[in-house]
Amino acid sequence: MRIKSLELRAKVVVEGLWKGMHRSPYHGFSVEFSEYRAYVQGDDPRYIDWKVLARSDRTYIKKFEDETNLRCQLVIDHSKSMKFGSQGYTKAEYAATLAATLASFLMKQGDAAGLTTFADGIEEHLPPRNRPGHLRRIITELERPAKAAGTSLELSVGQLADLLRKRGMICLITDLLAPVEHLEKQLALLSAMGHDLVLFHLMDRAEIDFTFEKSAHFRDAETGTERFIDPQIARETYLKRLQAHRDTIQAATDRHNVEYHFCPTDRPLEEVLFDFLSARQRKKASKSSAARVAA
Amino acid sequence: MNWLFPLYLAGAAAIIAPILLHLRRRPPQDRVEFSSLLFLDAQTPVPVSKRRLENWLLLLLRCLALILLALMFARPFVQNESTASASPNHATLIVLDRSASMRRADLWKQAVAEAEKQLKAAKLTDRIALAVFDRDLTTVWGFEEDRNTPANRVTAAQSRLADLTPTWSATQLDRALIAAVPSFDSSTATLKKRIHLITDLQEGTHLDALRTIAWPAELTLKVHRIDPATNDNFSMALAAREENGSTDALIRIRLSNTRDSALRDFTLAWKDAPKTDTITAQIPPGASRILTAPPNSTNATTLNLSGDTFDFDNRIFIAPPQPRSVRIHLLGKDATRDEASAPLYYLARALQPTDTLAPLLTADEKLPAQAPDVLFIVGDAPAAGLRDYVERGGFLVTVPSDATLLKAVTGLDLTVAPDTDDEYRMLANVKTEHPLLKPFADPKLRDFTKLRFWKHRLIEFKKPQSSLETLASFDNGHPAILSGRIGKGTLIVLASGWHPGDSQFALSTKFVPLLYGWLAAAGFSHDPAATLLVGDTLPFDATQTHTITDPENKTHTLKPGETFTATGIGLHKVQSPAHTQVVAVNLPPDEGRVLPLEPQKLAEYGIKLASASDTAATSETTDQRLTATDTEQRQNLWWWFLILLLAVLLLETAIAGRSRHSVPAQTA
Repeated sequence: MRIKSLELRAKVVVEGLWKGMHRSPYHGFSVEFSEYRAYVQGDDPRYIDWKVLARSDRTYIKKFEDETNLRCQLVIDHSKSMKFGSQGYTKAEYAATLAATLASFLMKQGDAAGLTTFADGIEEHLPPRNRPGHLRRIITELERPAKAAGTSLELSVGQLADLLRKRGMICLITDLLAPVEHLEKQLALLSAMGHDLVLFHLMDRAEIDFTFEKSAHFRDAETGTERFIDPQIARETYLKRLQAHRDTIQAATDRHNVEYHFCPTDRPLEEVLFDFLSARQRKKASKSSAARVAA
Repeated sequence: MNWLFPLYLAGAAAIIAPILLHLRRRPPQDRVEFSSLLFLDAQTPVPVSKRRLENWLLLLLRCLALILLALMFARPFVQNESTASASPNHATLIVLDRSASMRRADLWKQAVAEAEKQLKAAKLTDRIALAVFDRDLTTVWGFEEDRNTPANRVTAAQSRLADLTPTWSATQLDRALIAAVPSFDSSTATLKKRIHLITDLQEGTHLDALRTIAWPAELTLKVHRIDPATNDNFSMALAAREENGSTDALIRIRLSNTRDSALRDFTLAWKDAPKTDTITAQIPPGASRILTAPPNSTNATTLNLSGDTFDFDNRIFIAPPQPRSVRIHLLGKDATRDEASAPLYYLARALQPTDTLAPLLTADEKLPAQAPDVLFIVGDAPAAGLRDYVERGGFLVTVPSDATLLKAVTGLDLTVAPDTDDEYRMLANVKTEHPLLKPFADPKLRDFTKLRFWKHRLIEFKKPQSSLETLASFDNGHPAILSGRIGKGTLIVLASGWHPGDSQFALSTKFVPLLYGWLAAAGFSHDPAATLLVGDTLPFDATQTHTITDPENKTHTLKPGETFTATGIGLHKVQSPAHTQVVAVNLPPDEGRVLPLEPQKLAEYGIKLASASDTAATSETTDQRLTATDTEQRQNLWWWFLILLLAVLLLETAIAGRSRHSVPAQTA
């Protein structure tokens, strides 16, 4: 988070991951060079490889460049609670970096990435694409400060279901600091629509451990409500309720086959990304083995 | 412990503020922004007083800081027995101005009366000294004498003052005060030191050197300014004096009128000049004009200004023209003044009489009976007696045709042969820094490239020698001009003559300056007499015995090595065995600027002035107060309180900061 530019931050994480992946089972995943294809009438001449034409006097087309097999929609929570942070950066900054990293990574391997920001409703929506400049647009959108107040997961996810007609992957990045009773319904809806759901649950270390010591008036970032709290007394109850909240989320995600990643914001992004890719690989492997068993 | 400003101690009462603030019951003010209160319930605030109990150290530090601040402002000091004595004795130096400006009206009388008043006002236990100053400080009654015979001080000082009168010197107050500071000897170390300056403190007083010293903190200066009834005054100074050949010298005078002067009309005239030769004009107040002096038909030496009240600066002395005769002889066969090819032809035309020099040129094949001041020899000449002539102080310039003459004069083994080369020669390696080539010291005059030599002699020494120095050489490396001291005299050897048969030298612009440079080296300077002011040393050759007659017709006989400093204005007659010269000495122009300065002006130079109300009969309370101030300033105890205060504040900041940041997440 010491790097100011979000684009550069994302690039650093992706490059690091990319290098680390040379010996990983993901080597060659999706972006492996396919082949040159001979040009036929009707093909877009923009994709002719002119170097090959010059060398061999034959007209070829780089076939793979415009092809993708994954549409990923990154859904970012822009509510005010995301502006909290005790690590020198906020959850919103961590989420933006995670989203930019994912988008950069996916687009680098030829997949399409889109972005949706929400708070008490959908704020911005960029459909998944893999075109030059699209990453730049995503990053610009991520750099825009949040303006909404509270979090309405139910409303936002409901609106998202209307916007995403094509099947694809949805990465929901949020702190989930809102009642999750109705969230389950929306997750079930999206899952039923055939979307592949990934939930990144961000929490600050101070939120996880409730490390406050001094009594003070605590002010809710989203609602503005103030309550006098003595942390020594309130800590135990807080931790119990938080654990229950997390358990509820875990149970809901398990039920609807949602990939759940709990992300404390003091955890390095590379690790989060690597866990995500590992989980994807495991999921893919289990699917293929299930298919083989069925066969 | 004593306090210079004890009222500030009341400020320590301000500690009540932090005590109240620490004890005040108020609701907790700390607010923490948190992401969500979803998992938190409201609680009842804990009483404040219980929470504040842990801040007793901060409270203590804050109270201590306030107390230290109050103590620091109260300026503490420790009074020992010597400083605690009821009424300190004084060491007082009375400095009396006796510069030329004190000649106005009865200023000197007033000044002497003031000095006597100060002497009488001093207690017997005080130490008092008296000094007068103009350019320098002169002690009249010293601290040493005062310690030995304090009862006689008034009588003795009065009698000595009666013998003194104002001089004609400038007012160099800076030098006087700088000299006055060390005059407080060890016997005055424990006393309160002060200087009583009695002066007219005129504008022309020199003060600049005061910037070069650090005025002692324990020494105060009390200025007693003596003011005349009026300051309206014209002053006059010599602005420029131009020599314009044989006619009268052009003399320019700068006239000034004081600001706010009621006078305007003035008259300028030479002494005893007819009315037709006077200038009557006006000069507005505060203005300055430069005028040409009126015609001097009577050859007077004093120019008078009239029309104002004070006449001490209304005269300018101009020394009369005194052309000095110099006997120059050309020894040789070619002694004709009318043929352009002859060397004498050019010497006769170059050596014309001026206001300061009257060359008397003679030519013959023999030396004249009376030895000439400067002797030229071109070609062959009998060598007999020449060495004696030079050794006795003669100045010989020779263009040798063979080695005989040079061998006889110098005693060196050398050869002189004509150069057989047909090529012309030019000068190279000219030592313009040598006194004999002084006219060419200015780089603008050092272009010798237009000077060509058709015929020259090759002068070669068979053994290395050091008595003759090569001042210039030709471009083939042979010497062109040689010079050396032989006995008391000077020998100059030219390898080529100046006449057209040998070179272009006589026709060049270098010839006349070079000749007059040689005359100056022989002791016959062409420069006009310098304008001298009172305090300057008279210019004369200090190696000889001189008799000086000053304007008051007193004669001073000076031995060789002694100098004479002019103390009066007017014409000084300087007589040496060979020469008599009249030198004019004038009043320093700054003395004419008589408008008084404010005594506060001295404070700008770092001098510690006594307050206006501080008279000789200073009250005891004021003395004690001043003593306390001095003691406090010497001890500077408040610095320690300041350092302690800063330390306490730093500690308080550190402790307060640590307690505030004990929960880092809370500020997130």
